[in-house]
Amino acid sequence: MTDQAGEAMTPLVKNAASRPPAASLRRRVRPQSRWWTVWLFLLPALLLFLYFKFIPMFAGIQMSFQKVRPFLGNEWVGWSNYAAVLNDSRFHDAIVHTLILGFGQSIGAVIGGLVLALLLEGASKTLWFVRTAAFLPVVTATAVIGEVWRIIYFPAPNGFLNSAIGSLGLDPVRWLEDPAVALYSVMAVGIWQGAPYNMVIFLAGLAGVDRSLYEASAIDGAKLRHRLWYVTLPALRPAMTIVLVLAAVRSLRVFTDVWVLTGGGPAGATDVWMTRIYSLGFERNQMGIASAASILLLIASIALTALALLITRKRAEK
Amino acid sequence: MSIAKASSRPRPKRPQVNSSSFDTALGWQPGRTATTLLRAAVCAIILFVFAGPILTIIAGAFDLNPDPTRLTLIPRNPSLENFAVATQRGIWGFFWNSLLIAGFGLLLQIIVAVTAGYALARRKFRGQAIVLGIFLATMMLPEEVVAVPLAVVLGDLPLVGISLRGTIFAVILPVAASAFSILVMAAFMRDIPDEIVEAATIDGASEMRILIEIILPMCKPALGVVAIFGFIGIWDQYLLPIIAANRTSDYMITVALASLRADVQVGTGVLLAGAFLALIPSLIVYLLLQNSLVRGITSGAIKG
Amino acid sequence: MFENPNKAGNAIRGLAFLAAALCSSTAMAQDALEVWSRSGPQAAETYKAVFAAFTEKTGIPVEYLATVEFETQLQARAAARDLPDVLIYDQASMASYANAGMILPVVPEDLAGHDQLSEASWDSVRMADGGYYGVPFSQHAQVTFIRSDWREKLGFDVPQTHDDLSALATAFATQDPDGNGVDGDTYGMAVPGTTDRGFFTWWLSSYMMQRGGSFVTGGEGKYTVTVNTPDSVAAVEWIQNLFCGTPSLVQPGALTNASATPFFAENHAGIYQTGPYAIANFDKAPGKDKYEIIIAPAGPGGKTTLTERTSIYFGATSSKPDQQKALAEFLISPEAQSLGMTAPGQPVVRLPVNTTLNAAEIYGDDRWAVVADQLTDSQLMPSDVDFTTARLDIAETFQSMFSQCTSDIQGQLDGLAGRISDELSQQNALQ
Repeated sequence: MTDQAGEAMTPLVKNAASRPPAASLRRRVRPQSRWWTVWLFLLPALLLFLYFKFIPMFAGIQMSFQKVRPFLGNEWVGWSNYAAVLNDSRFHDAIVHTLILGFGQSIGAVIGGLVLALLLEGASKTLWFVRTAAFLPVVTATAVIGEVWRIIYFPAPNGFLNSAIGSLGLDPVRWLEDPAVALYSVMAVGIWQGAPYNMVIFLAGLAGVDRSLYEASAIDGAKLRHRLWYVTLPALRPAMTIVLVLAAVRSLRVFTDVWVLTGGGPAGATDVWMTRIYSLGFERNQMGIASAASILLLIASIALTALALLITRKRAEK
Repeated sequence: MSIAKASSRPRPKRPQVNSSSFDTALGWQPGRTATTLLRAAVCAIILFVFAGPILTIIAGAFDLNPDPTRLTLIPRNPSLENFAVATQRGIWGFFWNSLLIAGFGLLLQIIVAVTAGYALARRKFRGQAIVLGIFLATMMLPEEVVAVPLAVVLGDLPLVGISLRGTIFAVILPVAASAFSILVMAAFMRDIPDEIVEAATIDGASEMRILIEIILPMCKPALGVVAIFGFIGIWDQYLLPIIAANRTSDYMITVALASLRADVQVGTGVLLAGAFLALIPSLIVYLLLQNSLVRGITSGAIKG
Repeated sequence: MFENPNKAGNAIRGLAFLAAALCSSTAMAQDALEVWSRSGPQAAETYKAVFAAFTEKTGIPVEYLATVEFETQLQARAAARDLPDVLIYDQASMASYANAGMILPVVPEDLAGHDQLSEASWDSVRMADGGYYGVPFSQHAQVTFIRSDWREKLGFDVPQTHDDLSALATAFATQDPDGNGVDGDTYGMAVPGTTDRGFFTWWLSSYMMQRGGSFVTGGEGKYTVTVNTPDSVAAVEWIQNLFCGTPSLVQPGALTNASATPFFAENHAGIYQTGPYAIANFDKAPGKDKYEIIIAPAGPGGKTTLTERTSIYFGATSSKPDQQKALAEFLISPEAQSLGMTAPGQPVVRLPVNTTLNAAEIYGDDRWAVVADQLTDSQLMPSDVDFTTARLDIAETFQSMFSQCTSDIQGQLDGLAGRISDELSQQNALQ
C-alpha cells in the first residue's frame, strides 16, 4: 500500500464509518438471495486477510512476549520486551522524530497541495499537462525516488541543490549528513511526494466552489486574499480536516521514505519508530523486542484513528 | 450533495465581460498577457520541481557515465551501454517477474475488492460493522512488522500445509486483498441509485449478473483508482519478494535495484537504467488511467 | 519459475500454468542442495561456475541463492525453521549463528583435504567453547588502493607513513589531480561510512590498529574492552580529524548509505582502503593502469589491516549431511579454490585457504602478492564470540561522533566501552 493510498482512504473511512447501517437511510434492494450469500462475497477478502494479516499479527503478539530463538526454543519473558522498548532512550528519540516528521510532512503536503491546486486551477490543455506532470512523484516507486533524491541532496558544494542555493550566496548544506538538518531533508521529500496527491483533492474542491460567491465577493469589493480566506478556504475545510488528521495518524508508520534516504542515520537523527523496529528485528536479531514495539505502534495507530473518527463524526453530527 | 459532481454541472452564462476571473479561486484571467506570463512562470517552476527529478533519472539512464554528484536533464554522452550492462545483470528477468506479479496480483485484488465492496455497500447483514473494523485494522498494520511471521505462514500455510515460498503466489496472495481497494469500491457502489438495481431485479437477473452487468460498469472511476494504486502498491513491494523468494531469479525489480546499488561493479548509470525500467510500467498505468484516477479520488474523497 | 509469459493468454490457462509452476518448484527443492551466499550478481556468476563443477563431479544438484538481503532472508527462514543446507558468508557472523543454534558443528578431521588448510584458517572457525562451526573458504586483508596517475601528476611518492598518506589525501582534495581545474570535485579518501551491518567498523578497525588503538583485545573467547584507553582515544582523534579537519579529505556522503566505491571508480576520490574484491571493478573504471595497490602506510601502531574471511556453514535443519560435507570438501579443494578465483565474474575466493595454491600465480597478477603480503600483517575481528551487536554499536557511535565532530571523544568512547562490556559479559566473554 502506498502512502498516498493511505491518505485517500481517509475520507472513505469516515464515509463508511459514519453511516455503517447505510441501508437504514434508504431501502436496500436485495435480489433473490439468501443471507449467507453475502459471506460468499466477503469470503475471499476475509480469508486472505486472515492468512496474510491476522495470523502473522497474532504470531507477532505472541513473539512480543518471548525471547525469540527458533532453534533453541522461545522463552516466555512476560512484559519485559515492552519494558525494554519503553525504557530505551533511542525509542524515545525515535518517537519524537516520528511525530516531527509526521506532522511536518502532513501539514506541508496539505499546504503544498493547496498552493499547487490554486496555481494550477483552470481548464486549459497546458494546465492539464502541468498537473499530470506534477503528479509524477505520486506514482513513482519509492526505491526510485530514494535514488534521485540522494543525488539532489549530494552534500558537496557542487551537488545539485547546493549549487542552486550557492548561486543565491548560501553556504552548502550537508542535507542528509548533518544530524541537525537530515530530518527536515527527509520531510521535504515526503512533502514533495504528498503535495501533488492533495492537489487533486483540492482541485475537485475548488471546482465545487459556487462561482456566484466569487462574484458576490467581488461586488462587495473584497480583495483576492479576502476572497480566498472567506470563500475558498471554508469550502475546502471539510476535505482538509480529514486529510490532515488521518495523514498524521498514518505518518506514525513512516518507513520507506526514511529507509531509502538515510536508513535512520546519521547518528540516529532520522531514526523513526519503524526504522528502529526494523533494525532491531533484522540487524540485531531482537525479534521479541521488535515485535513488542510493533504492537505498541499498532495500538497507537488504532487509538489515534478511532479518536480522529470520533472527532470528525461529532463534527458531522453538529 | 456531492461537490465533485458540481464540476460537471453546466454553469449559468454570466453577462459580465470579466466573468472568467470568477472561474478560478485566484481569479486568473485568460487572454491577458500578464496572466499568461505569470502562469507560464509558475508552470515552469512546478514542472522543474516535480517532474525535473524524474527526468534526470531518464537522462542518467541514457548517459554513458553520469556524474553521481550532478544532475542533467539531457545525457552528456548518450548511450545504451547502461542498459546493456543491466541486461547482463538479468534486469529483464526481474522486470518480467514484477510485471507478472503486479498483473496477476492486481487482477486478484480487483476481484476481491469488487466482491467485498459489493457486500459492504449493497447488502445489509449482521456483523457489518465488525467486518468493516477488520478491514480497517489491516490498514493500520505496517507490512514490515509482520514480515517474519508472514514468512512462516508462506513457508507452511496453516491448515492447508503447503509452502508457497518460491512461487508467484507467495507474493500475489498477500497483496491480493487490500482494504483500501475494498473501501474505494464500496464507496462507489453505495452511490448507485437503488432504482437501477431494482429494475434489474424485477427483470429477474441474478445477484452476480447485477453486479457484473449493472453495478460494475458504473464504477469505472473506482476501478481506475484501484488499478493505479493497486499496481503501484504491488510494484513497490520490497520486503515481501525477499522473504517469499527461494532463488535470486524470483526477485522483483525493486530488489534487483537494491542489488545493483550494492554491486560495486556497476556505476550510477546502470542503477539509473534499472530505475528507469522500474519507472516505466507505473508511468504507463498512470497515463492510461489518470482521468478515472482524478474522478475516482475526488468523488470518493469530497463527499458527505 | 516465473518464465513463460505467453502461455498465460487466458485466465484459466494462466492459472493452470501457475499451479504447475507451484508443483515443479516444490519438487525441485526436494533433492537439490540449497546453498546461499551474500553476493551481488557478479560474484553470483562465479559461484554458479563453482557449483556447476561440483554438480558435474558429484552428481549433486545445487539450488543457489545469491542475495544482498542475506540477513533479512535468513531471519525469515530461521523463523520458519527451514534453513538452507549450506551458507557461505562472512566469518564475523559465525558466532551469532552458532549461538542461535542455526548452524551445525563441523569436525575438521572428517573432511577430506582438511590438512591442506592452515592452522590459522581452522582457528578462525573455532568458537570460544573449542568447537568448530564453519569451514574456511576465502581470506584476504584490506589493502590500500591509490590513484597512481593522480599521485604522479601531483609529484608525490608512494605513501609509506600516515603522514605521507594524509599529505597525499590533502593534495588530492585541494589541488587538481584530475586536470579539470581546482573545482572541488576531487576528494582525498573514499570511506564506506555506512552503519548498515556495522560496515563502518570494518574500515575503522584497520586505521585504529595502525594508530595503536583497538576496540577489544584478547582471544580464546575472553576479551578486554580497550576502545576507551588513551591509545585508542588518540587513534580516534586522528581518524576524526580526517572527517572534521581539512574539508573534502573524505568524500561527501561518506557517513550515509551511499557506497564509497563509485567515488573511486568514477574519478572523485584518490585513496580507498578496501578488500581486493574491488580489483576486478577498478580494472574497468578508473582503469588498470590508473591505480595501484599498496601495503597500508604505517602509522604509530604499524601497518596492520583487517583480515576478512568467508566461511562455509551447515544449516541446522538440513537433512543432507553427506551432501553438505561433499560440498565443503569440494569447496576447499585446489580445483574449486582456483575456480573461485578465476571463473568469469568476480573472485569469490580472494586468497585461497588451501595452502597448496599460490594466488599471484593463479591470477597471473602480482598485485595479489601484495594482498598476500598484507595478509601476513593483518588481524581478524573477534569471531569466536558474537560481536554483531558490538560491531553495530561501534559503527553507530563513530558515525555519530564524526558527523557531529564531537569534542568529547573520551566521553563517547567511555559510553561505548560500557555498552560493549555489558554485551560481552552477557556472553560470559569478558576477561
